[in-house]
Amino acid sequence: MTPTIAPARPELVTEGIPARRAGWIERATSADHKSVGLLYLGGAFAFLAVAVTELVLLRLQLIVPENTLINPVLFDRISSTSAVTAVLLFALPLAIGLYSYVVPLQIGARGVALPRVNLLGAWLYLGGAAAIYASFAWRPPEAGFAAMPPLSNLLYSPTNGVDAWILGVGMAVLGFVCSSVNMVTTLRNMRAPGMAWRRVPPFSLAGAVTSCLMLVAGPVMLAALTMLMIDRRFDGIFFNAIQNGAPLYYQHLAWIFFNAAYAAILIFAFGVALEVAPTFARKPLFSLRAAAICLPAVAALAVLAWMQNMYTAPIPNGFRIFAMVVSLALVVPVGLLFVNVIATLWGGALRPRGALLFAVGGMSVLSLGLAGELMYSVIPVGWQLDNTTAAQVATVDVLVGSGVLCGFAALHYWLPKLCGRAMAEGPAKAALALILVGAYAFDAFMFLAGVKGQPADIYKFFQGQGLDGLNVGASVAAFVLAAGVLLELANAAWSWRNGRAAGHDPWGGATLEWFALSPPPVHNFDAVPDVRSATPLHDIREFVRRRAAATGDRSPQAAPAPAASPAPEPARADPGTEGGAPVS
Amino acid sequence: MATRSLRVLAALVAALALTLALAVPAQASVIAPRAAHSPNADDIRVAYWVMLAVAAVVFVAINGALLFALVRFRERRSRRPAQVAAGRGAILRAAAPLALLAAAILAFGVIKTDDARHVATASAEPAAGASGALLAQVGLANPPSIPGVSTPPAATGVPGAGGAAPAGGPVVVNAVGQQWLWRFDYPQPGEQGPPYSTFSYNLLVVPVGTTVILNVTSVDVLHRFFVPALGGQVDAVPGQTSQTWFRADHEGVYGGQSTSYSGSGYSVMRIWVKVVSPQAYAAFLKRKKAEIAKAQGFVKQKISQQATVGGVKLP
Repeated sequence: MTPTIAPARPELVTEGIPARRAGWIERATSADHKSVGLLYLGGAFAFLAVAVTELVLLRLQLIVPENTLINPVLFDRISSTSAVTAVLLFALPLAIGLYSYVVPLQIGARGVALPRVNLLGAWLYLGGAAAIYASFAWRPPEAGFAAMPPLSNLLYSPTNGVDAWILGVGMAVLGFVCSSVNMVTTLRNMRAPGMAWRRVPPFSLAGAVTSCLMLVAGPVMLAALTMLMIDRRFDGIFFNAIQNGAPLYYQHLAWIFFNAAYAAILIFAFGVALEVAPTFARKPLFSLRAAAICLPAVAALAVLAWMQNMYTAPIPNGFRIFAMVVSLALVVPVGLLFVNVIATLWGGALRPRGALLFAVGGMSVLSLGLAGELMYSVIPVGWQLDNTTAAQVATVDVLVGSGVLCGFAALHYWLPKLCGRAMAEGPAKAALALILVGAYAFDAFMFLAGVKGQPADIYKFFQGQGLDGLNVGASVAAFVLAAGVLLELANAAWSWRNGRAAGHDPWGGATLEWFALSPPPVHNFDAVPDVRSATPLHDIREFVRRRAAATGDRSPQAAPAPAASPAPEPARADPGTEGGAPVS
Repeated sequence: MATRSLRVLAALVAALALTLALAVPAQASVIAPRAAHSPNADDIRVAYWVMLAVAAVVFVAINGALLFALVRFRERRSRRPAQVAAGRGAILRAAAPLALLAAAILAFGVIKTDDARHVATASAEPAAGASGALLAQVGLANPPSIPGVSTPPAATGVPGAGGAAPAGGPVVVNAVGQQWLWRFDYPQPGEQGPPYSTFSYNLLVVPVGTTVILNVTSVDVLHRFFVPALGGQVDAVPGQTSQTWFRADHEGVYGGQSTSYSGSGYSVMRIWVKVVSPQAYAAFLKRKKAEIAKAQGFVKQKISQQATVGGVKLP
């Protein structure tokens, strides 16, 4: 089998359009969904580097008992911004940016419905991030990761740091809502002919679910932030206990949003894994229908389970039981999503490339975090471990498993589409090993420290609590984790310009983004494909092969060589349809 | 090829299992929480161990399957990927055991929650009839929502609180969080609300073998009361009162810490619970009350003389 270079776009070639490198102004102001997606992705990965740097700083302070390396005020400032950096400035924009780039391509759209609203969203996100980090030039926020009142009230946080935090988080969330409006509208109106909802690929389904989730939960957070701002600057008493306000009310609202953000990150991870698994196992997806049911179920249940974070609060016990019921109900859809991924891999011919390895590693770390969440959703266990490092590390695991590892899997998978070049595999495997070792060791040490009662967010711990060794271990593990993340980010930056040229369809994917050029032209597709099944690109390949067989055409353009098109035709996931001339 | 990788995998799994089997008994204290010294903490420990086992099984199942798939189904020249997808009912068959697992955990969780909230009033040597009467007096004839809202009135006069506590009689203490210390008020007979005549900071002294009802609140920001040996965490929310309880079974000092971020002094906001004999407890209350009365008398006298204390003019 001699490898032959064959264009994977079998039918239509639009190589004639000269690829021009966009200038900075154009990159920043173009409302093209791909350009907006790159704005989001650039910001997201930049803030991933910031977040792991902050993790290293925090763990440096906690490496020995009663350390004085970083003073308490600075520690609290870093710790107060690190969580929103990881969740709101890295993981969510990563998901939203990739949806913005990939979803219109996957559904065969030539653009998005509301391009400027999408661009506004990216700018609001970047502006919000700038507001939070610009405050470090004056007085940064120091009221904790969610700025819970009364600590964030003017009386206890008199500096402008919390105002910058409110402004920054508010802008970012508003940006996500804007981009979600665009995404929902696009998915509703701009699917290619034949792209019924039952044929929408899992990653686009994840995009649809996440966008609806943001439309519901984003305004809740905006309301909470507005009330907090009114409390601080306009004599409001929403959360002011002294004047009969209700501090717990903010907790309810904030947890609704943060649970939704958490669910969005999970859904992103499964969306990526359900794209990568069939492509790299050369098998059809186990069940697209199950994914289409489970992803929205995860979103709905995760939001309803917000009081799972409030087991210790003075709320009626019935509320806690309700939260436990909903949290445990999540076992079914989340478990089915894991089953879906594993069953898709089962019996396949797995190509151990970066995308697949990162996705499997992500699923593994994610399962560790979710097993932890399963523990803490039982009320008495929550009473014991909530707000200890044990509960904190479950969140970190979910972020590392979903955001970082599945994010990198997505990068490996779609970077050829983004810039026409593939990620380097060698450094990626080294980075994956570092991240996995770091994440598992970090989890073990932090969990054990939490079981011994070490609270989250403390700037120092004391000798004689039996925590010394555990904290040294956790710090070293965090450094290993950070090294892996930074290595992979460097790999991505290097591969963006210098990676191996990958062509238009390097993996033999089944979805329509591989029908476009790499990088796609502004209008995405010269001819909008006519979709006949859930795996439209397989249909196109099969049609071209059949026609080539019929006409005896042996040119590489007409008949994709086996090496370049490694995916044999799968059985139809959607048995009611038939392949045929799919190009209109 | 396939059999070889299978053998490698089996060896790996066996080695891992062996390591775990050897490590667990030797390291049991490593994964164990701090020893429980109160019935509610016992319930929490049971829940912890059961859920740790469940979580471990879930984790091993998922990761075992992932690892197995990755090794067993690696691409090879001879392998044709099976072109199969979910048949009819496959998803339902997978969902059923998951739903059963969730339901079982839920039942277990509800039972254990109830156990941990249930105020154990029975004691080693119950004073005949005293327990029930005292409970009725503080409105505890039915176990209260613990650590629920129910905003009980600031503890009304509790006969058991002052003087020598009758064995088994619940002692009511108010824990008030503030940046960055804990104040423990011991309501004395006849005291309806603050100011209390007897209180201590950071160190809570309680009698051994006696049920202690703790009303937790805050005067400024959110705090959280947590002494691992004596039960779970409970929030201190300004304007609201949470309740928790414990009954220490051994004399000694149990450490704890506030576990809700409350500002720059949060890390040093620690708690010590000193469990003493009922006689020592009565003596402690008496001594504390006298000391506080003396100190307050001194300040009042200085105020009446318009004096300054340490250069500060008193109001």
